Amino acid sequence: MSVTITRSDIADLCAGSVFLATGGGGDPYVSQILVEQSLQKYGPVDLVPLDDVPDDAYVVAIGEVGAPTVSLEQLPIGTECLDVIDRFEAWVGRKITHIVSFEVGGANSVIPLITSAAKQIPLIDGDGMGRALPEAQMMTFAIEGVCPSPAVSVDYTGGSVYFDTKDTLLYERQVRNIAMAMGGMIFTAEHPMTGIEAKRAIVPGTISFALEIGRALSANYGNAKQIEPSLMALFDNSDYGIFKHLYTGKIVDIDRKIVGGFDVGEARIDSVGTDEPPMTLSIKNEFLVAKVGDRVVASVPDLITMVDHETSSPINSERVHYGQRVTVFGIGCPPHYRTEKALEVVAPRAFGFDFDYRPIESL
Amino acid sequence: MRIGIDVGGTHTDAVVLDEQDVVASTKVLTSANVKDGVVNALDEVLSQSHVEHGTIDAVMIGTTQFTNAVIERRELAPTAIIRVALPSGELVPPMIDWPDDIANELGRHVYMIHGGRTYDGFPIAPLDDAEIDGAIDDIAAKGIQLVAITSVFSPSDPAQEEYVAARVKERHPGIRVTQSHNIGRMGLLERENAALLNASLLPLADRVVQSFAGALTDRQINCPFYVSQNDGTLMSAEFAAEFPALTFASGPTNSLRGASLLTNLDDAVVVDIGGTTSDIGVLQDGFPRQSNIAIEVGGVRTNFRMPDILAIGLGGGSLVLDGGNTIGPRSVGYRLVTDGLVFGGDTLTTTDVIVAAGTANIGDAAKVAELDAGLVGTAVDKIHSIVDNGIDQMKSSREPVPVVLVGGGAILVSKSLDTAAEIHRPEHSGVANAIGAANAQVGSETERIVSYRRIPKERVLQEMKEILTAKLLQAGADPNTVKLADIEETSVSYMADESTRIRVKMVGDLSFTSRGDT
Repeated sequence: MSVTITRSDIADLCAGSVFLATGGGGDPYVSQILVEQSLQKYGPVDLVPLDDVPDDAYVVAIGEVGAPTVSLEQLPIGTECLDVIDRFEAWVGRKITHIVSFEVGGANSVIPLITSAAKQIPLIDGDGMGRALPEAQMMTFAIEGVCPSPAVSVDYTGGSVYFDTKDTLLYERQVRNIAMAMGGMIFTAEHPMTGIEAKRAIVPGTISFALEIGRALSANYGNAKQIEPSLMALFDNSDYGIFKHLYTGKIVDIDRKIVGGFDVGEARIDSVGTDEPPMTLSIKNEFLVAKVGDRVVASVPDLITMVDHETSSPINSERVHYGQRVTVFGIGCPPHYRTEKALEVVAPRAFGFDFDYRPIESL
Repeated sequence: MRIGIDVGGTHTDAVVLDEQDVVASTKVLTSANVKDGVVNALDEVLSQSHVEHGTIDAVMIGTTQFTNAVIERRELAPTAIIRVALPSGELVPPMIDWPDDIANELGRHVYMIHGGRTYDGFPIAPLDDAEIDGAIDDIAAKGIQLVAITSVFSPSDPAQEEYVAARVKERHPGIRVTQSHNIGRMGLLERENAALLNASLLPLADRVVQSFAGALTDRQINCPFYVSQNDGTLMSAEFAAEFPALTFASGPTNSLRGASLLTNLDDAVVVDIGGTTSDIGVLQDGFPRQSNIAIEVGGVRTNFRMPDILAIGLGGGSLVLDGGNTIGPRSVGYRLVTDGLVFGGDTLTTTDVIVAAGTANIGDAAKVAELDAGLVGTAVDKIHSIVDNGIDQMKSSREPVPVVLVGGGAILVSKSLDTAAEIHRPEHSGVANAIGAANAQVGSETERIVSYRRIPKERVLQEMKEILTAKLLQAGADPNTVKLADIEETSVSYMADESTRIRVKMVGDLSFTSRGDT
């Protein structure tokens, strides 16, 4: 069933995508302004269900790459997400029939709406992660064997870089360094695929699902206990499959440092009113591993989301501080990440942890 | 001797301090023209204390006038904004997210020109003199006298803002300018908003500073006077006339600073219990811990240095329901004196409960004599657990902390608190704001995003310290007392070259306090 996104949906969609960003993805404030303007001007966007994408479609993934913190200061032009389409088509010599978002977590869930509204290119209801993760090889497109190039990036001054790199790890390295050289943030079009490939490689329904989460958060505004039943009903009936309350407590310790360009740290949460052992959360931009005592209760690629206990608003990992009352939820990852091939790049070992992934439902 | 004055919307408070001792204090009504209220308060404390006018070293004033002007949308002058950023930010122009009522007061005089720098200093686009001058001349042609200027990453490199400001001055010397790097931190939209609000307040700032000066002159007080900022430090009168927006939220800050001075505690949690809510703040090294989220002033997003305050719905007028299990957040507020049981009303409030418990003597105790003892006990416990919970959320370590109770509702707390290592109830807490204003330090801070791989940390710190020291001296600090107060480093996510956002704060004593040493 096709879902239509209107201007008045954007606030909820942003809230839902911060929830799915599992602590990463940055603040979507500026993106929200841009998308609201755009939908006001061009009208609503109909999301295309993945099943409706024809086999011979030419699908391109789009989104921002870089450091969200930098874009709070150096704002986007606002037209990067349009220019990148023109340049990609001119270079490749082929019309893009459909676009899809990199990741539903954070700003990248909403920016493609501008592209779709202004260029009249259908936007697929889905993405390449079903959550937020930091690197290109972790996208389901890459895992399903889609070549990252041809790829084009547009920077915040309007300049472009063209990539013709077959290897995903090398592409990730290139695109990351270009983002840095261009002021910290670029917009790219990459991972072109056919409709057949798209149906295999895209996590379906995630944009409309983020909107449903956002709506549930605003409709049931209240503490984490109050919103839990509606979220559980949503997730249980989705591809994520499982939604668990992991812990409620108070942040008593937060330690953070930078390792290799990532925000790495650990947060400790003490239970309030029970003698449950404390929870430790390992952070590498996103929340990656949750332990209660020594026992792992959830790990990447399953989703770990932290919300403010009183208001249920999702908490970005950069905003975690002592004293916050929080509730931590664990959510099953989309089935795309449960394959052996996927786990090579998204399981705990891919992030430097010394243990194997076990699905959240078995923990 | 120092005089501290707090100009609030309703009351103007004044205190005379001899070092840390309160020699005299008063509370008078704020006058419509502000000056008369200040003069009245001054007369009152001067006659109480019998101090010689010549022995007054300094007068410190905290004021809510600028915050109130923004909130009430009055006395804001037409102001233009020049943003040096194109092509970046083209579709996110200045004032895009402002409420119309306040945007219309300033007029949407928006000018976007090419320029700005990336996080590592590379130019986004070259500056174009013709474009700059075109904007400036257009502003002048409209008769606008006030301009805010912002450029991308100006907190790291203010040169472009300075350049545009210099051209404004050269072409139209009558136009006054606020440069964003002087007023806000990283976050272009929020800093730009802060600069715009500041510029629009400049004419009011002139009047306010002149009226303060006039009040002092009227009473033959010829010492310098200072105005308190929202981070708990002071600025000189001349500086305040340039940066009125830095006074936003100085009220809660002064209250915290006052609690620190009254108790001699540098690290504590301060609970200010009023009629409807309690404000809980944290003192760290004698200054309020600051919030790091975007703060709205009158509906405009800013990133000012605001104290981190937790407001909870507990006060002397809070409703008691559910057999004492539910307290607040609803409150009878100022109607306590008519609606509360002890005042002959029919609403059960926290004040009634503590009178019934025998820990306070307010109103007519006979009117609550029949209250169920179980309910009273439950409600008293609930009040303490609410306060405990609030303190626990705010304190920054697991151990119990010193707690300072201030405000009219402080009597609600009669027992010990699990979170409190000790409880202080200082005298004069009713004028804590004025006492806080009378503190004697000036402060300044600056911020950058840097890669220590490219520039060694020592050099970055050295440069930042030099800039801050110069600012402090300009604000009236004694060079011998200038010292580092805080360094905060945050990593920048998803960047491969280990970029760090570094914020440095320095403080210094005002020159007069160390007069004897030099």
